[in-house]
Amino acid sequence: MATVTLLLQTLILGLLAGGVYALMSSGFTLVFGVMKVINLAHGAMIVLAAFLTWWVWDRTGLDPLLVGIFLSPVMGAIGWLLYKTVIARVQRADWELTLVASFGVAVAAGGVMALVWGAEGHAATPSYFTTSFELGPLVVPQAQLYACVGAVAMLAALHALLRGTFLGRAIRASAANRDSAALVGITVERTMAAMFAIGAATTGFAGAALSVLYQFVPDSHYRWIGLILCVVILGGLGSFLGAGLGAGILGVSEALTSSYVDARWATAVPYVLIIVVLLVRPQGLLGGRVRADGVPA
Amino acid sequence: MTAARARRAVIAGLILLVALVPVFTPDTYIHNLLILTFVVAVTASGWNIVGGFTGYVSLGHGAFIGVGGYTGGVLAAHWDVSPFLVAPLGGLAAALVALLLGLATRKTRGAAFVIVSYAMLELLGLVTRNWSGVTGGSQGFLMPLPSWDVRFQNWPFYYALFVLVLLSIGMTVAIRRSKLGLGLMAIRDDEDKAAGVGVRTAVYKSIAFMAGAVLVGVAGTVYGYYVSTLSVGTMFDIVLSMQVVLAALVGGRGTVWGPVLGAFLVVSLSELTNTTLGGTDAGAFRLIMFGGLLLVVVLLLPKGILPTVGNLLEHRRRGDTASPTGTRLEDTPLPPAPARSGTAPSTSDLLRVTDLTMRFGGVTALDQVTMAVPRGSITALIGPNGSGKTTVFNAIDGTYAVTSGSVTLAGRPITGLGRAQRAHAGVGRSHQLPRLFDSLTVVENVAVATGEFRLAGLVRSAVSGAEAARAAELLEFVGMGAYLQARAGDLSYGQRKLVELAQLLMLDPDVILLDEPAAGINPTLRARLTALIRALNDSGRTFVIIEHDMHFVLSLADRAVVLARGRVLADGEPDEVRADPAVLEAYLGADLAVGADR
Amino acid sequence: MSSAARPRTTPHRSRRVLGAAVATVVLSAGCGLSGATPEEGSADDPIVIGMSLPLSGPAADRAKPGMAGYQYWVDEVNANGGLLGRQVELKVLDDGFDQQTAISDYNRLISQDKVDLLLGTFSSDLNLAVAPVAERFKYLYIQPSGGADEIFARDFKYLFFAQPATTQRLPNQFVELIERLPAATRPKTVALVQQDDPNTTQAAEIFEKRLGELGVTTVYDQTYAPDTSNFDTIANAVKQADPDVVISGAVTSDGVGIVRSLQKVGFSPEMFYQENAPTSPTYAQAIGAANTEGIFTPIAYSTETDLAGNKDFVAGYTKKNGAPPDEDAANSYTAGQVLAATVKAVGKLDQAAMAKWLHENTVATIVGPLSWDAAGRPQGELLLAQYQSGTLKVVAPDAAANADVLHPKPGWRP
Repeated sequence: MATVTLLLQTLILGLLAGGVYALMSSGFTLVFGVMKVINLAHGAMIVLAAFLTWWVWDRTGLDPLLVGIFLSPVMGAIGWLLYKTVIARVQRADWELTLVASFGVAVAAGGVMALVWGAEGHAATPSYFTTSFELGPLVVPQAQLYACVGAVAMLAALHALLRGTFLGRAIRASAANRDSAALVGITVERTMAAMFAIGAATTGFAGAALSVLYQFVPDSHYRWIGLILCVVILGGLGSFLGAGLGAGILGVSEALTSSYVDARWATAVPYVLIIVVLLVRPQGLLGGRVRADGVPA
Repeated sequence: MTAARARRAVIAGLILLVALVPVFTPDTYIHNLLILTFVVAVTASGWNIVGGFTGYVSLGHGAFIGVGGYTGGVLAAHWDVSPFLVAPLGGLAAALVALLLGLATRKTRGAAFVIVSYAMLELLGLVTRNWSGVTGGSQGFLMPLPSWDVRFQNWPFYYALFVLVLLSIGMTVAIRRSKLGLGLMAIRDDEDKAAGVGVRTAVYKSIAFMAGAVLVGVAGTVYGYYVSTLSVGTMFDIVLSMQVVLAALVGGRGTVWGPVLGAFLVVSLSELTNTTLGGTDAGAFRLIMFGGLLLVVVLLLPKGILPTVGNLLEHRRRGDTASPTGTRLEDTPLPPAPARSGTAPSTSDLLRVTDLTMRFGGVTALDQVTMAVPRGSITALIGPNGSGKTTVFNAIDGTYAVTSGSVTLAGRPITGLGRAQRAHAGVGRSHQLPRLFDSLTVVENVAVATGEFRLAGLVRSAVSGAEAARAAELLEFVGMGAYLQARAGDLSYGQRKLVELAQLLMLDPDVILLDEPAAGINPTLRARLTALIRALNDSGRTFVIIEHDMHFVLSLADRAVVLARGRVLADGEPDEVRADPAVLEAYLGADLAVGADR
Repeated sequence: MSSAARPRTTPHRSRRVLGAAVATVVLSAGCGLSGATPEEGSADDPIVIGMSLPLSGPAADRAKPGMAGYQYWVDEVNANGGLLGRQVELKVLDDGFDQQTAISDYNRLISQDKVDLLLGTFSSDLNLAVAPVAERFKYLYIQPSGGADEIFARDFKYLFFAQPATTQRLPNQFVELIERLPAATRPKTVALVQQDDPNTTQAAEIFEKRLGELGVTTVYDQTYAPDTSNFDTIANAVKQADPDVVISGAVTSDGVGIVRSLQKVGFSPEMFYQENAPTSPTYAQAIGAANTEGIFTPIAYSTETDLAGNKDFVAGYTKKNGAPPDEDAANSYTAGQVLAATVKAVGKLDQAAMAKWLHENTVATIVGPLSWDAAGRPQGELLLAQYQSGTLKVVAPDAAANADVLHPKPGWRP
C-alpha cells in the first residue's frame, strides 16, 4: 500500500509542479509561439513581479496572489516598454540578436533588483504558504493548488484571446505574414507590442505565485529559463493546451525521476525532454506542421 | 607598398606584439587577461564557423571547453602524463560531441536549434557533475600543479592558447576560401535550396560542426590545466557561451577577424565593469553595467564592427550605388546552348511517376498520380490552383517524402534518395519564387551548384577557374553575363529567375523542372525564355513545365498532363487536352481562354 | 576568387586594416586599464589589503555581510593606530561568483596593483580556484569561508582557514550529542538529504559512517542538484522513510525549501539538523518563526561567547550596521584578526615569515584559539547550536554551551 501511496503522491506533486511551470510559461508561449522571440528576460520579469508582490504584502498584509492579479497591468506596461525600446528595434535587424538583447535586459534587471531589495532571500508567507489539503494519506499543498488554478485560468484566457478576439486574430495574422497583415490594415507594430505586453502581464500572477512558493533572490531568474523552454518546446509552437500538457508532463517526469531514480538527475529532465522532443517530434505535442516548400521566412 | 602588403605588415606586426607580451612584461595580470581573451577568441572563432558561416546559432558552444577540459584532465591523471600531451584528445572528444549536435540539425533549425544547443550545454554539465566517480563531480577535479619555474609559469599556457588562436584564424580563412565554405554559406542562406543544387548538406554541416569544436576542445584542456582545478560550473559556463556569441556578433559574424576582435573587446569590457566600482553595492552596479553594455552593443551595432565599418568605407569609396538595374531587353540572337555531357538521347521514358500519393494530415494532395515524361520532350503540367502541381515537383525533387508511390529517373528509382542525391542523379528544379543565395554573388550562386560530390574536393578553392568559366558561359547564355559580381540579394525578380535557370543548368541535369517560369515577367523576357527553352531542348534536355499561361506553355510543349484536385485528369497532346471537356470543366471554363491568342 | 571583370579585394582589405587597428587600440587600452604601478610604499603609505568577493551572483547574500565584517575590522584597526603604525586600506573587487574572474582579480591585485596583503574570498568553489594563485606568488592567504577538503589537499604553505575546523570535523558535535542521549530516546534511523556541493556531500558521508557505528540506520540518502527548486517529492520520500533524525546538508535557500516542503507534506522528525541555511537572517521569516524551534545547526561563531574581543565586536558591529553580526561577518572579522596577529608578531610584511609564524603559533579570535596543521587546516572544533525561542543557543561542546539540548523537536506550527 505504501508503494501506491508513494506513486499517487508523486503524481500529485508532479502535476502541481507542472501547474506552476505552466503558469510561468504561459506568457512566454504566447510570445515565442507567435513571434519566435526567445525572451530571456521573461524569468527576470517573474522575479521582479515576485519582489513587487512581496513589497506590497510586506507593507499592507494583502494576500499575495490577489496582489499578483492587480500587478498584471503594471507588468504589462513594463513589457510594452521593453518591446518598444529594445525588442522591436532588434527584431528588425536580426532575430538572433534578440537573444543577446533580452539576456542583457535580464542581467541588468537582476542588478537593479539587487540594488533595491538586496541579495538576501525573500519570501511572502501568507497563512496558507505551507499548509496542505489532505486526501486520506495524500497531501495537496494549498499554495500550489491555487497556482495551478491560476495557470488553467490564464491559459484558457490566452487561448480565448487568440482564437476569439479581433486582437487575437490580428496577432496571428501579423505573425504569419507581417507585410500582408499590414496590407489588410492591421497596425502590426501596435499589435505586436500589445501581444508582448500581454505576455508580460502574465508574469504578474506568476511572480506572485513564486513569492509564495519559494524563497527567491534577484538571481533566481536563471533557474526558470530552462524549465520554461522545455514547456514551450514540449507543447509545440503557440499552443496553450500544448503548453499545459507539456508542463504537466515535465512536472510529473521530474517528480518520478526524483522519487524513483535519483534526485540528482531530476534537474536534467527538462533538458533531456527538450532534446528528445526536438529530435523526434519537432513541432511538439500539439503544434501543427507547415508546408515546407514555402520561401523560408 | 601596396594596400595588401600594408595590411599584411600590420597584421604581422600585431601578431608579433602579442607573441612578445610575456617577454616584455612579467605582469601576470596582463598574461591572465590575454589568456582569457585567447580562450574566448578560440571559442568564438569556432562558433563563427557554425553560427557565422553555416547559420546555426548555438548558445552552448562553451560546452566544448568543458568537454575538452574534462577529457584532457581525466586522461592526463589516468595515464599520468602532462595535460599538454593529451590536449589533442580533448579536441577529438569535443569534435565527436559536436558531430552529435550536428546530427540534431537534421530536425531542428533556427530558434529550435538555439534551444537544443542550450539544453546540450546544461545536460553535459549535469552529466559531468553526476558522473562523480570519474570527474570528481561537485568536489572538483584537481589538475597537477605546474612543475616548472615560477617566473615562466604562464608561458606554456599563454603560447599554447596563442597558437590555437592563430590556428583558428587559419582554419577560418581556409574554410572561407574553399568549396566547403561556399557550400556552408549557401546552407546558411537557404538550406533546402542548397540541397536542391547538389550540396550534401549533412556532410557539410558535420564537417563544419567538427571544425568549429575541435580547437575549442584542445583549448579546453589547456585552460583547465591553467585554472588548476576543473569544476563543472566553470567548465560548462553559460556566461562563457554568451560571451562567445556576443564576441562574434560584436566583431562581425561570418568574417575572419571579427570573432577575435570581439573577444578582445568583450573581455576588456568585462574587466572594465569589474574593476571600476567599489563598495558593497558594487555587485549590483556591475550587473547593471554589463547588461546595459550588452544592450547598447546590440542596438547600435547589429551587424558587428567589421562589417559596419567595411560597409561605411565601401560606401565612401563607391558613392551611392544604384542596384544593378538591367539594360533594356532586346530581342538579340541567342548565344549557342551550352554543350551537354553524357548519354546520347534515346526514346525511352526519362522520368516516370507511378501511383504517387501525398497526404498531409487529413488532406490528400495527390491521389495516385501517374505520368511518364519521354526523354527529350517538353511536358506541360497544368491545372487549376491547388491541384497539386508544385506538390508533384516537390515529390520528384525530394522536398517531400511521398506517402506512397515511386519516382524513377532513367529507369532508376530515386524515391529513397535525398535532395542532394537526386540533384546528382539528374533532377534540376526551379521555384515559383526564385530562390537564390542572397549573400553570395551571381557567379558564386551558379558555381555552388554541383552535379557530383567528392569529399576531397571540399578543400579546393571555392570557385575554380574552370567552374567560373562554365558559370560565366551559362550566365551569358541566359543573358546575365553583365552581372557576374552582383550580389544576388540585389537582383530584381526577373533577373533572379534567369540566374536560377543558369544555376540549374550548372548541374547539367537530365530533367529540368520549371515551376511557373513565365509568371510575373514582361513579354520580351517571356519570349526570350521560350527561345532559351527551345534551344536547350534542341540540344537534348528534357523539360517539365508548370504554367498558368496556356499560350506560353502549350505552344512549347509536346505533351500536357492536367492535374485537378490531386488527380490526373488528362494526359496527351496539347491540342487534345485543350479540347477535353473534363479539363474545361475543371477550370470552370472562365479562367481559360482556350485557343485564343493573347 | 573569380575570373570576372571587377576584383573584390578592396572591401576586405579596408575591413582588415581597420580590424587590426582597432585591435591595437584595444590591446593598448587593455594594458592601460591596469593603471600605473604604485611606487614602493614608504612608512606613511597605507597598507593595502586586496580581496575579491562574490558581491553579485548566487553568493551575494553571504558576501555582503562578509564584506561588512572585513570593513568593520579595518575600521577598528585604523581607530587603534593601524598595523605597524600604518593605516589599512581595503581594495575590493567583485568576481560575481565566477572562478575565472576570481583568478583574474587576484592576479590583478598581486601582479598589477601589487597589494601588500591578501584576504580570502567566500565559498569553497572560489577559494579552490584562488588558493593556487596566492601560493604561486607566495602571498599569505587567509580565507574565511572555504572548508571543503579539496582546498587543503595540496599542502599549500601559505593557505590558512579562519574558522575553527574544516568540513572534516563538522559532524563531530552532533554525533557526540546523539551518543550521549540515553538509549531510550536515542534515534534509530536517519535520513540524509544534501545538495551536491563539496562541503555538504563530504559531511554527509562522515555522518553516515559515524552514525552507522552508533547503530543508527540510514533509511534515506539523497543528493540533489544545486539548481533544484522544488523539494516536495524529496520531502515526501523522506516522510515515507519515516526517519527519527533528518540531516539536511543545505547551502542557501535550498535549506528553506526543504523545511517548507517537509511542512507541506506534514512530516516533522524528532531531530532536525541543517547546515548553513539556519544562520541566514531571513531563515526564520521564510519558514515561519515558530518553526525554527529545535532545529540544530553547526556554527563557527556565536554572538554570546566571551572569546577574544567578541563582546566589543558584537556591540560595535551592531551599532554600525544596525543588526548583530552573522556567521559570514564574523568569519571575515576572524580572518582579519588572524592577519593582524601575524603582522604584529613578525613586525614586517614578510609573507613567508608570517606564514611560518602562523604554523607555529595559536591566535586568539572571536571563534576561539586557532592553530593550523601544515596544510592550513585549523585544529579546533565547530560549535553546535539549536534554535530555542527564536534565538540560536550553543548546546555543544560543554565548554561553550549556554543552554541545554531541547529534545525532541516540536512539530511544525502552521
